[in-house]
Amino acid sequence: MSSAYDNIEPGLRIEGTPFAPTRESIREFCEASLDFNPLHLDDEYMKGSFGKTRFGGIIMHGMNNFGVINKMLTDWLYPQGGIHRRLETRWKAPVRPGDTITPTAVVTARKVTKRSRFATLDVAVRNQRGELVASGEAMVEFPLSA
Amino acid sequence: MGSAEFETDFWKDEQLRRVWDDIIPGQPRKTLPYTLTLDAIQKYCRAVGDLHPLYFDAAYAEASPYKGLIAPPAIHILLMFACTPADDWMRSPGTINAGQSWSYNMPARPGDVIRLEARALDKFIRKDRLFVIHDNVFFNQNDEVICSGRGQTIRPA
Repeated sequence: MSSAYDNIEPGLRIEGTPFAPTRESIREFCEASLDFNPLHLDDEYMKGSFGKTRFGGIIMHGMNNFGVINKMLTDWLYPQGGIHRRLETRWKAPVRPGDTITPTAVVTARKVTKRSRFATLDVAVRNQRGELVASGEAMVEFPLSA
Repeated sequence: MGSAEFETDFWKDEQLRRVWDDIIPGQPRKTLPYTLTLDAIQKYCRAVGDLHPLYFDAAYAEASPYKGLIAPPAIHILLMFACTPADDWMRSPGTINAGQSWSYNMPARPGDVIRLEARALDKFIRKDRLFVIHDNVFFNQNDEVICSGRGQTIRPA
């Protein structure tokens, strides 16, 4: 009888749930994450240039990307007995209220180790214009009991 | 510490915070214990649009291999600031999160008392910007690692 891991092959593509941040959802994320950095709250502060950036207005938390990616992976893993083990991300472009972002992932490799079974994935988050806003790599585990 | 005590004005303690010059790679930073409630878990989940029954449906979660409600792996997003004092340099307004990597050992659960061990690991200047690499490990009340992560921030000039 094949296991879920047998169906994990390089090239397998996963698409997550789109997420559409608004000013209200960014405020909600501030409350939920306790990150009240003015990057996400204060348009007046954001109109200036600081740290060599020019965002022009409030932006979504970078870690909101992280949460959206994490949801994509766990939605895929939980039904199969898989475990999310690692996620590394880099933010490529700001996400603003009114954007819609969609995470995707592609399996890049399988690795059976002494005690378990793993897979690695390339992760990307794009906005409604197809622009890359975040990228990264994930590692997942399928225990031998799964 | 409950959420009612959390200082949301990141400007308020600005004068108390160390700047990039003061950050010592290797020096542990002060952290606060935090009791993770079901309410806080679910608030985070709703904020990222994740309504999985493992986080909301007790009967479903108890019947699962997890044997009870859990927090999603990325709950460290909340834990980071929950465990960080108001005068810490991590809360400096204008700090830019340039990227993070996190490893997950076991899920956090409602009622866990979370402890953070954290320090800056490195700091450098690149393209005229001030970077810090920082390391964070979250433990539960049984001293079990929940997750650990490394982040890169760009500090305000």
